[in-house]
Amino acid sequence: MADNALELRNIDMHYGYVRALDGIDIAVRQGEVLGLLGDNGAGKSTLLKVMSGAHQPTSGEIRVHGAEKTFGSPADATHSGIQMVYQDLALVDAQDIATNLNLGREILRRGPLGWLGFVDHKAQRRRSTAELEKLGVRTAAVTRPVEMLSGGQRQVVALARGATRVNGEQSGILLLDEPTAALGYEQTQQVQSLIRRLADQGVACVLVTHNLPLAMSVCDRIAVLNRGRKVADIPVAETENDHLVGWITGARASMFATASEAS
Amino acid sequence: MTVTIAAPQAVSAEKDKDPALIRWLIFIRDRGIFVLWAVLLIAFSIWASPYFASLDNGILIANAAALTAIFAAGIAVGIICGALDLSIPGTAALAGCTCGWLITHGTPTGLAILVALVLGGFVGLINGLISLRGFNPIIVTIGTLSVMSGAAAGIAGGYTISGLDSLVFMGTDRFAGLPAPVWITAALFALLTVFLTRTRDGIRLMAVGGNPEAVRRSGIHADRYKVLGFVISGFCAALGGLVTTALVTEANPAANVSIIFNALTAVALAGVSLAGGRGSLPRVLVGALILGTISNALTIKGVSPYWATATTGLLLLGSLALEKWVSTSVSRRLVQSASASVHTGTR
Ligand SMILES: Nc1ncnc2c1ncn2[C@@H]1O[C@H](COP(=O)(O)OP(=O)(O)O)[C@@H](O)[C@H]1O
Ligand SMILES: [Mg+2]
Repeated sequence: MADNALELRNIDMHYGYVRALDGIDIAVRQGEVLGLLGDNGAGKSTLLKVMSGAHQPTSGEIRVHGAEKTFGSPADATHSGIQMVYQDLALVDAQDIATNLNLGREILRRGPLGWLGFVDHKAQRRRSTAELEKLGVRTAAVTRPVEMLSGGQRQVVALARGATRVNGEQSGILLLDEPTAALGYEQTQQVQSLIRRLADQGVACVLVTHNLPLAMSVCDRIAVLNRGRKVADIPVAETENDHLVGWITGARASMFATASEAS
Repeated sequence: MTVTIAAPQAVSAEKDKDPALIRWLIFIRDRGIFVLWAVLLIAFSIWASPYFASLDNGILIANAAALTAIFAAGIAVGIICGALDLSIPGTAALAGCTCGWLITHGTPTGLAILVALVLGGFVGLINGLISLRGFNPIIVTIGTLSVMSGAAAGIAGGYTISGLDSLVFMGTDRFAGLPAPVWITAALFALLTVFLTRTRDGIRLMAVGGNPEAVRRSGIHADRYKVLGFVISGFCAALGGLVTTALVTEANPAANVSIIFNALTAVALAGVSLAGGRGSLPRVLVGALILGTISNALTIKGVSPYWATATTGLLLLGSLALEKWVSTSVSRRLVQSASASVHTGTR
């Protein structure tokens, strides 16, 4: 399994006395979409936050392209090529789409003005428009303030922000927490095809969702969490709806049950 | 000439443009205060004719608004970046007294001014660093307000430091017909406006005020920009304190808390949201000018200054209502036309 883009080994995570993650082993390969399913409180968001450096696991090991990493902050994960699209979109409402997409990687003007830190707004807008086009998404004009976008458009901008940043390096890893929760049918389809397109471009995607049909159609592989444990990890082609529902609700026994766990 | 009117659904126009009505509403929101000022100027020109509409009176208004504007700039930058800095009067008093003390003890005027300005920035740095520790900035800056006015009184020995005639070049002197405070204010606002809208650090500072989490997730040290906001605010406070001192050629150690209210009114009139992240300094400048304009016109007509305060308050409430109305109409229109907004482009 040398081609794992991101690999987590034996991750434990406690919130005080709450054990949110319990011995999680999970990996995603380059160009693969890994679906992460589970009931509310199963630990999906927590696992994603560990992957993105927002939380530090109580114990366990994180490897990016085989190299062990310790993420002290989201910035560390970003440096390793990991981008997360959060459930709360965390956009700067008063600023326009272009500014949001360019935050943290601004294009400075050439010459003396650039040395003074002047931003080249025109170049930023051009780049953002081009990037959105490459992703195949059309929102509003990139000069539109984010606060004047609909929920679906905001989701697309947040997704594009993550996508444009992993897309640069072909070894990128994109983490998505419920990217379609607030979207209608058509927009969900668009987000779905966007994720698929990114994976085809070589991006490793981890997708948390409650939408089983979406997971079945966009993912290559699905892992199910139940009360902080991984109870299933299986290629989509080898499973079906009923089995997944069983694992999610706990009605179906874990694929990984061992003697030590039976108590 | 063929005019093709695209239905909202057919978003195939080469240039994405917002609908005309929305652009108009945004214009009202962003530029409404300029319109309001223009209306006031015209109305007062008629009402207080012939004394109001003269060049000399215009200069008088600008000069009267200058101090409010300088402090308002400090307040505005603080709020835009997410914190209301109440220590401004204390910092102003401290800067004035420090500069006065240095001058009366033989320091060259230029150096004394520089020290006072740096000190203002330093107070901002302390405010910022304390606030980062998770304390409420309002309480922190109330604390530094007391500390600074105490320190100012200590430096001045409890009395005003008078005879600071070497400061008149930034007080009552005129250059090219305009009083020094007007020049200083113009320079400050030009500088800060360019900084906030055109430079990387300025844009990040505004973004931090709007959503620190978004900035952090972009891999930026959001905290630095929070502190930077306080530093700029402290600098503006010190500058305002120096101009106050220069105008009367004496440094008063008593912190004048009413500056906060004037400045805050100008800032609020300019639509700078207390939630942070939005606001524009040219609007703040016009906000300060509107306050100056109103009190000037009422003074000319011999109306009691209490009425000026009351009028300002009413105006403030009216502008809040207008802004609310505009932003709800804009979002309603946008939601209506947004259903077809996400497009899978297959070019
Ligand atoms: N910040 C937190 N503090 C304490 N407990 C938390 C926190 N975040 C999540 N938890 C707990 O951890 C468990 C997993 O939560 P989460 O990862 O959000 O689940 P999911 O995203 O699968 O719904 C839940 O029991 C939840 O109550
Ligand atoms: Mg969750």
